[in-house]
Amino acid sequence: MNRSGPDTAGAAATAHPDHVLPPAEAMLWARDLVKVHHGAETATHAVRHVDLRVDRGEFVAIMGPSGAGKSTLLHLLGGLDRPDSGRIWLDGQRVDGLTEARWSLLRRRTVGIVFQFFNLVTNMTAADNVELPALLAGMSPKQARTRREELFAELDLDDRAGSTPAALSGGEQQRVALARALVNEPGLLLADEPTGNLDSRNTRDVLRLLARYHARGQTILLVTHDARVASSADRVISLYDGEIADDSALHAPSASPTTVADVLRLKG
Amino acid sequence: MRLPLLALLAKEPAHGYELKQALEQTFGAAYPQPNIGQVYVTLGRLEKNGLIKGQDVDQSNRPNKRVYEITDAGREELAAWFAEPTEGPRVRDEFFMKLVLAPGAGGSDRLALINTQRRHYLNVMRGLSRLAAQDRDNRAAQLLIEGAMLHLQADLDWLERCQEELD
Amino acid sequence: MRALLRWVRADLRAHRGQATLMVLVTAVIAVSLILANALLQDAANPWQRIFLQSRGAHVWIHMRPGADTAPLSRLDGVTGVAGPYRTAPADLVRGTEKVGLELRAAGAEPPSVARPLVRSGRWLDPARPDSIVLEGSLAHAMRVGVGNTVTVHGRDGATRPMRVLGIADSADQGSYPDWTPGLGWVLPSALDRVVPEPVHTQQVIGLRLRDPGAADFTAQQVVTTLGSGQVTQVTTWQQVRSAMGQDNRLLGLLLGVFGLVALVAAALAMAGAAGSRVLVQVRDIAVLKTIGFTPAQVVRLFLYEHTALALAGMVLGAGAASLFGPLLPGALGEAMGLWQAEPAHAGALAATGAGVVLSIALATVLPAWRAGRIPAAPTVRANHPASGISRLARLALLLKLPPALALGSRAAFHRPLRAGLTVARLAIPIMMITVALGSWATLDGFQDHPRQLGLAASLTARPSGMGDAEARRLLTRQPEVAAAYPGVETPALVPGETTTITVRALGTADHPYPFALAAGHLIRDEDEAVAGQGALDLLHARVGEWVRVMAGGTPHILHIVGRDIEPDHNGEMLSVELGALAGPGGPPKTQYDALVLRPGADPKAVRADLIAASHGRLDVRSVANPADRLGMVRVVVVGLVGVLTLIGLAELVTATASGLRDHIRDLGVLRAMGLTPRQVTAIIVTSTGLLAMVAVLVGTGLGVLLSDRLINMEGQASGVGAGIARMPAPETLLLAGAVAVAVAACVSVVPATRATRARITTVLSASRT
Repeated sequence: MNRSGPDTAGAAATAHPDHVLPPAEAMLWARDLVKVHHGAETATHAVRHVDLRVDRGEFVAIMGPSGAGKSTLLHLLGGLDRPDSGRIWLDGQRVDGLTEARWSLLRRRTVGIVFQFFNLVTNMTAADNVELPALLAGMSPKQARTRREELFAELDLDDRAGSTPAALSGGEQQRVALARALVNEPGLLLADEPTGNLDSRNTRDVLRLLARYHARGQTILLVTHDARVASSADRVISLYDGEIADDSALHAPSASPTTVADVLRLKG
Repeated sequence: MRLPLLALLAKEPAHGYELKQALEQTFGAAYPQPNIGQVYVTLGRLEKNGLIKGQDVDQSNRPNKRVYEITDAGREELAAWFAEPTEGPRVRDEFFMKLVLAPGAGGSDRLALINTQRRHYLNVMRGLSRLAAQDRDNRAAQLLIEGAMLHLQADLDWLERCQEELD
Repeated sequence: MRALLRWVRADLRAHRGQATLMVLVTAVIAVSLILANALLQDAANPWQRIFLQSRGAHVWIHMRPGADTAPLSRLDGVTGVAGPYRTAPADLVRGTEKVGLELRAAGAEPPSVARPLVRSGRWLDPARPDSIVLEGSLAHAMRVGVGNTVTVHGRDGATRPMRVLGIADSADQGSYPDWTPGLGWVLPSALDRVVPEPVHTQQVIGLRLRDPGAADFTAQQVVTTLGSGQVTQVTTWQQVRSAMGQDNRLLGLLLGVFGLVALVAAALAMAGAAGSRVLVQVRDIAVLKTIGFTPAQVVRLFLYEHTALALAGMVLGAGAASLFGPLLPGALGEAMGLWQAEPAHAGALAATGAGVVLSIALATVLPAWRAGRIPAAPTVRANHPASGISRLARLALLLKLPPALALGSRAAFHRPLRAGLTVARLAIPIMMITVALGSWATLDGFQDHPRQLGLAASLTARPSGMGDAEARRLLTRQPEVAAAYPGVETPALVPGETTTITVRALGTADHPYPFALAAGHLIRDEDEAVAGQGALDLLHARVGEWVRVMAGGTPHILHIVGRDIEPDHNGEMLSVELGALAGPGGPPKTQYDALVLRPGADPKAVRADLIAASHGRLDVRSVANPADRLGMVRVVVVGLVGVLTLIGLAELVTATASGLRDHIRDLGVLRAMGLTPRQVTAIIVTSTGLLAMVAVLVGTGLGVLLSDRLINMEGQASGVGAGIARMPAPETLLLAGAVAVAVAACVSVVPATRATRARITTVLSASRT
């Protein structure tokens, strides 16, 4: 099993567990993460000894069947849930021991999150949903508004600013959620099945937007069970039963024209 | 290529080059470029079988062109084609052979086999995604690419099943 | 902070209806608290009403006859002057009684400042020179009515019979006998006839001030202006008020208790509402956390929002009560008007408002804290393992009850903690309603069973113009009179205390008066006594101890053998048998006879019969019942029960809604399994009904215990003594409980039908996340 992932610092980490420093180019670095969900009678090992490194500017997808622990892993990395053991560095800072409040402060600037069910604040307008984290991060209402307007123009949401989430289509909601996640220009964008509740056209739109922000240097970590979505990333990590089963960089598309043609050859 | 050409001719009579263009337009990037020679060969075969009939048309300052028209026999053949269900693509038999036979042959690790296969599928998927992005306006092409992607997704799901069996 | 405000604004806009409702509920609670406050203030503090209606003077100065009063009206802050009147000390004699009296010379026209309020009869009339108007409490104590004749003794020997022309209330001095001498108004000519020597007269003047708080300062100025030699006595309104208020401690305590109950109820209602809002918004709160709200910020979010709503409601309520309260018809409006005129009312209003807001804020802390603890990971929630059927449901199945009952009991109790909370929240208003009903029952007890509450005798009779023996014969002939007990009352000094208590000799050792004993036994000997709680407190004595009091100049050493319930005189009453007060000339002359009537006899009719039979020579009076004075309390009790019912209803709606939310998927499954919508509705209604039933049992039980304790505590503190509390009748409780359960069932029918009408598929898919 290939547990070490692409980094080779594993040996050093075991030798001096507390003095190890994350590589400078790593946006996210996790070592030996473990999370067990305790049910009434059984304990489920959702994440087992996962090592993970995401460099700045990378677009990484975590793929696996449902129940493989993908979402749990993402929650651990975003501070929404705490690991039972293991260490996490975010943007060079050790974060696994942070209190909930410190995590909240960190998320404002460093981590944007997009969810499968959009999770917009139901009683706020699309505009308020996006401006809220900006205000939280200390922007003035005017700055927040300007920034939100930029994002809405780019995401084709101009005429939706005053609508409540209930009045928006799924695709629109997810674009608003994307705007909200990006409004503070976070170092890391986490996406948990962002297309899981969208039809194929909206899925394509969201993927295109992710690709666009990635092209501008946004670091993205995406969780999905959908291979089409995963294939839009540079690197796909296969999670199976809480463990990393494979970690592979995808080729540039030009590397496989014949194969594609082969797949498409119509019989007839 | 026989039956698609027949289907195009059922709509209206056309000559070989027109047919090649129609094919390209309809299927776009999703379909491998048709060879003009192959189109003429196929048309000749169809005419010989009486499914279409050709007629030379004079052109000033150019060589004559041959315009084809579908016959009643051709229509029957076409109707029969539409009426019968189409066999779907089948499981990749070769990979399955490898997976089953690998342990006995003392060769490769089965997990490695699965991973290799998965990487391959993902790369193909990525290629298809790029292709789909290039040819966004052709709906027939998009449908075809999507179909291919869904097949790939099914193959990937099946790989997961294979992985489950390893434990 | 900006982000918090933004969210609060959006939330309020999105839940306009809910927010309005919360504001309104707070406003209603504030209004009812303020009204209750005003009402009870009014009842507990008669001075206020009299002072206001009579345009009372804030400072009264008694001075020597020749003093020049003109400079007083020019003092800074004086807006009006009453008098100066000539006054003279005299004695008022009626039958065998003689009490001190201050005669005040007043004109034929009542003055505009400190105008005596004629309650019955009429004001002085120059055509009737030998007439007198008596102050109400004095007339009451002397048992004098309009038309009676009294004798007034001047200090220099002149004696004149005078006819009582009217009885008037006045805020010039405290009520008799707490404040002596008593007060009577006569025409100047009459004063001259009773007290011909000017040297025995004094002058009195009342000053009305712009700022009531300056009374003490003004009093000082008066003494400086006139010279201390001229001034004999200065009285301020505060002294008068406290002297008048003493008799109503019970009411004051009730005010406090009811205020507290209403506040707790308000806080509970708001906490319930806030809690249900948190439940509804669990998902949004998780989202807020993912975008960077800290737990503390989430807590503050809810706290600020609900405090702001409470503040708005309080301001609305206080404003409405202040603006429209005085316009209300009847006693309510009058009480509000009076209360607003009271200088301290702004403070009381502020305190009430602050209390409401603070208690709501405090009550919101728990739900807010729970909101802060909601985990950020939005959808992760450990699946509850399908819990086994609860014991109760199993029992229901064993008993072969219909499915609705079996499943309903499962739905109600399958999460014991949640069910327990719901029951507790429903039980609290029910408990408080029981307490209110207990107060009501206690008042009923005073009215229906006065004998058990220290009011065995409902009439007193005293001869006026007929011999004792003849009076006695008359009384024994009257068939409705079960027994007549001769009685004497005299003030007694307690050694080491400045206050007096009343010693009452009633009945004899052979024929003891049926005191309502809460402890000990009846009087069996001359040196035995029973005491009210107030007297025990004053004497620092307990039942079984010996005490020494001075009555009529003689020391008496008495053995307290019992404590009786003593609604009169704040319980500061020591009762002995007639022989105990015997002097050298035998037993004292009886002042009156306490008449115990046969059960079912109408005191008014008996009184009329007796007066007729004696040709007016027998003065027969009804014994005052505290329940009559506490009539206001009934209004407050009704209001309180109304407010509590509303609160209970609100809790019920919350409980049903959250119950439905918990079970919505189960209900879908049940319907998919083939239960009819009607059966599903029945399950929900049963589940709510069962919870309500448990809450009723718990709430009523606790309420009965609490009400007993609370009312007896009030009784003890007010001097009447513990032992006055009466339980609400079992049938009343049963009825109230049945109504509560029925209402609960009805309330849950609407959301239940709505829930069952939803399409099964929607229900099943909506609860996916």
